[in-house]
Amino acid sequence: MTAAAVIAHPEGLAARRALRAARIRGVVFAALGLISFYFAASALETAALFSFWIDKQGGQSAQLQTSVGALWIVAGVASGVVGILQLVRGAAFPWRRWLFIVFPPYIAVTIAALLNGTAANLTGVISGSLVLAAPITLGALAGILSERSGMLNIALEGKMLAGACVASIVASVVLNTFNVSPSDPGYGTAALVGAMAGIAAAMLTGALMGLLLAWLGIRHKVDQIIAGTVINIGAVGITNFLFLRVLGRNTELNTPPTIEPLRLPLLADIPVLGPIFFSTKPYVYVAIIFVIILTYLLFRTRWGLRLRASGEKPAAAGTVGINVLAIRYRALLLAGLLAGLAGSYLSLSAAGSFQMGMSAGKGFIALAAMIFGAWHPIGALGAALVFGFADQAQSLLSILGVQVPPQLLNSVPYIVTIIVVAGVVGRVRGPASAGMPYEQG
Amino acid sequence: MNRLQSLARRSLLPILAVVTALLLGAVVIVITDFENLSKLGSDPIAALGGALAGVGRGYGAMLSGAFGDPGRIVTALQSGNEKDIATAIRPLTETLVASTPLIFTGLAVAISFRAGMFNIGGDGQLIVGALGATTTAIALQGVAPAAVILVAAIVVGTIFGGAWGFVPGFLKARTGAHEVITTIMLNYIAAQVVLFALRGDFLRQPGGGQPISKVMTTFVDVPGILPLPGIRLDFGFVVALVMAVVASFFLFRTTKGFELRSAGFNLTAARYAGMSAGGSIMLAMFLSGALAGMGGSFMVIGTVGQLSNDLSGGIGFNAIALALLAGLRPTGVVLAALLFGALTTGGKLMGIQSGIPFDLLFFIQALVIMFVAAPGLVRTIYRIKPPKPEAEVAA
Amino acid sequence: MRLELRDISKQFPGVLANDRISISADKGQVLGLLGENGAGKTTLMNILSGLYRPDSGEILIDGETRVFHDPAEAIRAGVGMVHQHFMLVPVFDVVEAVALGAETVSGPLGTFNRAAARARIVELSAQYGLNVDPDDKIESLPVGVRQRVEILKALYRHSDILVLDEPSAVLTPLETEELFGIIRSLTAGGTTVIFITHKLNEVLEVADKIVVLRRGRVAGTAVPAETTRQALANMMVGRDVELIVPKGPANPGEVVLRLKGLQVRDDRLEMAVDGVDLEVRAGEIVAIAGVQGNGQTELVEAIVGLRAIDSGEMSIGDTRIEHASPRQISDLGVAHIPEDRGRDGLINAMTVAENYILDSYHRPPYSRRGVFDLAAVAARATQGVKDFDIRTPSIETVAASLSGGNQQKVVVAREFSRPVRLVVAAQPTRGLDVGSIEYIHRRIVEQRDQGAAILIISTELDEVLAVGDRIAVMYEGRIVGILAGESATLEAVGLLMGGAEFGGAAA
Repeated sequence: MTAAAVIAHPEGLAARRALRAARIRGVVFAALGLISFYFAASALETAALFSFWIDKQGGQSAQLQTSVGALWIVAGVASGVVGILQLVRGAAFPWRRWLFIVFPPYIAVTIAALLNGTAANLTGVISGSLVLAAPITLGALAGILSERSGMLNIALEGKMLAGACVASIVASVVLNTFNVSPSDPGYGTAALVGAMAGIAAAMLTGALMGLLLAWLGIRHKVDQIIAGTVINIGAVGITNFLFLRVLGRNTELNTPPTIEPLRLPLLADIPVLGPIFFSTKPYVYVAIIFVIILTYLLFRTRWGLRLRASGEKPAAAGTVGINVLAIRYRALLLAGLLAGLAGSYLSLSAAGSFQMGMSAGKGFIALAAMIFGAWHPIGALGAALVFGFADQAQSLLSILGVQVPPQLLNSVPYIVTIIVVAGVVGRVRGPASAGMPYEQG
Repeated sequence: MNRLQSLARRSLLPILAVVTALLLGAVVIVITDFENLSKLGSDPIAALGGALAGVGRGYGAMLSGAFGDPGRIVTALQSGNEKDIATAIRPLTETLVASTPLIFTGLAVAISFRAGMFNIGGDGQLIVGALGATTTAIALQGVAPAAVILVAAIVVGTIFGGAWGFVPGFLKARTGAHEVITTIMLNYIAAQVVLFALRGDFLRQPGGGQPISKVMTTFVDVPGILPLPGIRLDFGFVVALVMAVVASFFLFRTTKGFELRSAGFNLTAARYAGMSAGGSIMLAMFLSGALAGMGGSFMVIGTVGQLSNDLSGGIGFNAIALALLAGLRPTGVVLAALLFGALTTGGKLMGIQSGIPFDLLFFIQALVIMFVAAPGLVRTIYRIKPPKPEAEVAA
Repeated sequence: MRLELRDISKQFPGVLANDRISISADKGQVLGLLGENGAGKTTLMNILSGLYRPDSGEILIDGETRVFHDPAEAIRAGVGMVHQHFMLVPVFDVVEAVALGAETVSGPLGTFNRAAARARIVELSAQYGLNVDPDDKIESLPVGVRQRVEILKALYRHSDILVLDEPSAVLTPLETEELFGIIRSLTAGGTTVIFITHKLNEVLEVADKIVVLRRGRVAGTAVPAETTRQALANMMVGRDVELIVPKGPANPGEVVLRLKGLQVRDDRLEMAVDGVDLEVRAGEIVAIAGVQGNGQTELVEAIVGLRAIDSGEMSIGDTRIEHASPRQISDLGVAHIPEDRGRDGLINAMTVAENYILDSYHRPPYSRRGVFDLAAVAARATQGVKDFDIRTPSIETVAASLSGGNQQKVVVAREFSRPVRLVVAAQPTRGLDVGSIEYIHRRIVEQRDQGAAILIISTELDEVLAVGDRIAVMYEGRIVGILAGESATLEAVGLLMGGAEFGGAAA
């Protein structure tokens, strides 16, 4: 059946609405492109100087010299092409994934315009964005797993916080049992074992909290938002309590081995790309691997099919004999594992120890990335990169003395999320039955 | 008699929830008492005894921190010495001081939940309200008399909070954007806005890069209730109580309150009855934000005296716990806020005297919400038969 | 395969849904299961598909007793169910929706073998002439195609017994014809089909054998060639309970409600009300009869202002109400007794008193300048409770704890508590006991005699015949006939409801 036939059908009012939204979107993209050309005209003289480390930080750098105007043209072309494609292809156009092409030039041009001719090294910014995006991506994957199964999961924040705390304690304790000092030859192994134990414990903690959430929501029919709030507040309380009562006095329980960047053999030696992508923290590799695995599992396997059915229309799954509640319990268990893993990053890799309230809203940003990424693992990764970049850009800009209030950049994830849930730029639709209890006969 | 019985029935579950949560808190205290527990192998009785004594000391300190020492209060009152009286009753008045913003935000949560809106944005609304009040007060410093500044600051703060609450209400009514997501996001945006506002010299306390505003008590202050030295309790508390009465009147005695509750219980029935559901949602969120903002305003103008980015300290989340505990009734909110206020002030003394960190209370609060939200849990623990089905709470 | 259900009984709180029902169908036969709403058809089929377990009785497939603990077991036994409300995941494509729960997988991760599933769907679709594109998204498909996807779902699972629950309820006549073609090709292939419906024409056209259910029991069995619509209608509706509503002749006055060429769309944006012309006069009761889902719900919602109309004219007295809000229409003196009182008419968590004022709370004496006069509210509510004999411990009791009959009395008492020009009552006695039914009918007649215009919508033929001064029959969004109440017969109305042509019936 052709697209036109679908639209002509009397049922197609929804399709007509989608088409109208698509047209608006197309016009907006195209207009953005035209405006970019306008800006380009006046900025062709301004140099844009980007450099990248070739093999390592502080070593030789590769220069990329162009002009702000040229970047505007690139951005304008990208936006214009997407706008035209959108107009031509109508509602069926998968515009969201084209954002991956539209965003980068605009980000580049924004930075270049702000730098106004000053040179900037971007290796640190990009790899830093990746590192910051890793825990957000993992958290968002946890959110995707639970919401795709039909359970709201605003407890990510609490799970990450608890994961951070447990990871630090367990990693410290395990490291201490080896009784080695950092200068000893066996320290590397001990640190590795300790870190792994910490990560495992964090994941287990997250999983248990996920099961608690599922149990409250499914067995006791507690509103899933309230259940999530319970877990978030409880996690703050118990981790702060542990920090002050136990860790404060016993600092040996809060000096875990840290997880350092890992150079991938061969890949790390690729010029320019190596320092950005292949000598970074292991969490980045893990997050990307999980994005790929989860995308495959969700959209290519029986498990994913059933999980999505549970979240979209549980009755349809139930009537063909699928145990919806078991799927939801398992999904929250897996989501907990991922959230715990994300939490372990905070204490083991980012800070080097557990600090009170160190999740600092990352769980909610992960939720935002999930929404912005339209409940798709790859989308979530993209969103997390945008958020991570907003975070990194401010350090870059402050180093270069460019005046952008850090509070504005900090607010980017939150503002973007509100715009997205309000459907201002084409509504994203979450799993239809997320948050609704399901009665299984 | 009938009313008393129903009151008793209604109170049983919340009371059991609080008691159970405190007991579980005690368990946490015991199992983290490493000093005593390390003796478990050699002298188990002493170890457990010591740990339990620790609980006793902690909860005891909490009690006296919250309510003071009755004997001492009586002696001080007899002596008539202002300073002695002030010292003796200070724990009590501090409890009321801590309760005040809890009453405001608890009412805020109750009103929004009654309309079916999970307003998790109490923190943001409170702090934006406080920002409004602070900005107004500092802008009017030296321009207007103190009384005018006071009223203007509170009014502006209330409106700021209301506006911050209105946004998610508007988005929900117009676009269907889920209020939980938008209010959480607005909490973080609010924190950034306040940090941004505290960057400039206009608001910031001179000397030091801390994000703290100038102290305002030097030129404007909410009048105190008791003319005693060192007593912070002010008329903000009275206004909070008045607001509870107003909220109760609004919810149960006015047509707007009726519409709001109807929308919260059953949107389609409200529509069938000719009500505007979207209007109720927006109104509820505005009022909710306004109450939280008023609470924040009374903090910065009165008891706290200055704005900082961590002014709220999680009050918005405490408010959810206590509003649920209160069954979303304004009178219940006052009682629950007094309880939580007592826990807060008592918890601080517990932290100082017995080394049991104050933050245990967050954990206890989480347990309270859990038990109130899952009555089946409490009933299972205490083997209480479920009552006849009677829908009570919108949430 | 041969299917037999023997002496199936199923009790729900307060109602015996199935009372020793026995039916059977041979391999390749179409068994038509005919009955009104609430006759027990759906309960029976839910038992067969493993969703419910019977209290007694047994299910035999090819002579062998089977017990189904869950839908999966029924599916394995070869029973495929096409639910009235489709059980398809809207965002899936046809392949995913069909294969869900019966996926073939490969590899360590359980990779869904989409190509195999797709090939099989294409094959089945061709074999039975289903004409389904496997790559379409469910939500983009018209209802008729979705139903064929449901049938595919059953075939995909090798179902030899296919249960179709009210399959034509959502179909256009053309789609229904297509469905019959599909059913014939299925039975030709040896599938046993159970076709549940309340439309007489359909069973006569497609069934090999007809079993009529009434109030949870088998009311009769027939073979299409040897029966008539009349006979089936008699069996279906029954005459065991004669509803008698004491009322005098109507004295119709001026026109109160006037509908002209009214067109209204349903939630799926299909034309549910398609050109209705109707007048209801003061002092008369017009009863709209019709099988559920023929546009009555949308008609009522349009009249009371809850649903935007597509085109046409609506007026109450001299006031046009095409674009009026529910509040404005209510202010014109329109009382509305909604179809689903639990969802639309009452707020269960609120008290009797609050529910009593639910739509006039903003008017004096209940409130002035936005503030309630609680004494007045209590006084009126107490009066209403007394007048309408509402059995409640107090006016402060929450509505949820009242019985269904008393809940409905609260709604009726509320609606009749203010001056009424027009009463719109949708299924006013559904699910009530006989005493409450009589009471509510008496009250409605009382309103008529006081000069109100009454529009009753009911799927219960007994009710329509008992209270209607004029009876309009609605079928597929149109009024297909209007009969005078005294001369209308069960058979005549029943035939019109089933979609039979009725020449020159306009009254």
